[in-house]
Amino acid sequence: MSGAGKRFSKLQVFSDVELEVGEREVLAIIGPSGCGKTTLLRCMNGLIPLTEGEITMEGEAITSPREGVAMVFQHFGLFPWKTVFNNVAYGLKLAGATRAQIDEKIPEYIKLVGLSGFEHYYPYQISGGMQQRCGLARALAVEPRVLLMDEPFGAVDAQTREILQFEMLRIWESRPTTMVFVTHAIDEAVLMGDRVLVLKGRPSTVHEIVEVDLPRPRNRATLLLPRFAELREHVWNTLMADARQAELEVIR
Amino acid sequence: MGSEARWARYATVIVSLLVGAAVWEVAGRYTSDAFWATLSSTLRSLFDLLHSGVLMRQVASSFQLYLSGLSLAILVGAPAGMLLARVRWLRVALENYIMMLYATPMVALIPFILSMMGFGFAPKVLVVFLFAVFPILYNTVEGARSIRPELIEVAQSFRSSEWRLWFDVMIPYTLPFTMTGIRQAIARGLVGMVAAEFFLSPSGLGQMIMMGSQNFDTAGMLAAILIIVLLGVGLMDLGRYIENRFAAWRGYKP
Repeated sequence: MSGAGKRFSKLQVFSDVELEVGEREVLAIIGPSGCGKTTLLRCMNGLIPLTEGEITMEGEAITSPREGVAMVFQHFGLFPWKTVFNNVAYGLKLAGATRAQIDEKIPEYIKLVGLSGFEHYYPYQISGGMQQRCGLARALAVEPRVLLMDEPFGAVDAQTREILQFEMLRIWESRPTTMVFVTHAIDEAVLMGDRVLVLKGRPSTVHEIVEVDLPRPRNRATLLLPRFAELREHVWNTLMADARQAELEVIR
Repeated sequence: MGSEARWARYATVIVSLLVGAAVWEVAGRYTSDAFWATLSSTLRSLFDLLHSGVLMRQVASSFQLYLSGLSLAILVGAPAGMLLARVRWLRVALENYIMMLYATPMVALIPFILSMMGFGFAPKVLVVFLFAVFPILYNTVEGARSIRPELIEVAQSFRSSEWRLWFDVMIPYTLPFTMTGIRQAIARGLVGMVAAEFFLSPSGLGQMIMMGSQNFDTAGMLAAILIIVLLGVGLMDLGRYIENRFAAWRGYKP
């Protein structure tokens, strides 16, 4: 799968974004709030059109959401009137799966994300972390070749966030897919990505792509590696150089 | 402690009702029969009417009118509301008319309906319909418009067709709001029913009240009013029950 994108609009959100994501590669996209990370991801999904350039997947231009791609949403995007089971089954049902296929597959994904026993709960009855596990299972259930993650752990508390990060790594190891992971947390970007793409400027452009040469499988021990700290520091400096300058400009 | 508090509540309610009944009875004894009847004579009148079959006939007649108007209001109001929410130009075009009609006291339109349509069953149904349809329409539009764009995006991301999007997302999301509208419509429709029975061709419970008042049969009139009160209370409870059932996912206890 390869993707190259650009974008202009009335407000030029980002432009001249050139990138390619390999099969089973995890690309983390990081940038300051409002830099267009989420917009870029929605373009990759085909939810909104580009105004310039194009994004292709497996040789075909993406103009609308296509088969083989699934998105995990920042605010979970669960249907509050559906139970956990029916939320997870939603994508498969739309794809035309039979009742038997659903009954066979869905419990497997519910188990994978650690929600066994909560099949018949409604989203309002479970915690934010569990809701996002449900959102993740819904995306995984359609067996996507590309997983798009839109700040998936941005709306949960700090501890839950850490737990979910390691859960995500475990799940990815068990079924590696191509993944584009949008985040504004530096640790998370370095921990998840094979590469970290730093998006910044106005309009945003690809400022730098950092190769993350940390060994897999990654887990809590990864956080203790000196190399992790180095990479983290590097991304931090890249991101913050501008931020500090912008702040100084405001003061002046 | 919980059950004790509950008993205290029940006791208070029962005492309150008994005091109300006693005040009614006593007030009836000290006023002229032409103005006010005692509770006991009202109940006696109620049993006579029930026994002769008059009451059931009039209640059935009123209910036929009420249910016709209310069903029509639901069948028109709910789909029209969802359509207005999804089709912008239609909403912009009709919004002002809906607000104007919603704000108009419907009683004011009754003489007009009378001169247009005369005294049949149809104009009376129209009155009940007009009383009931606007809360349903209004709540449905507002509900359908309040849907989180993210949910629509989820559906699109999972490659939902427009038809499936209505079926999976729009309708289930909007239903509890429509139910709130229906609960309000249940109450307003009852007002419409009595108004139609007063001002168009007299029939049903409305006619019973009118005749009771004209013939100085105060007990008969109060009996009819009592029936309407009980109907109103029962229907409101039914409405609230239905609303809560459909709103379970919003975190309410049904």
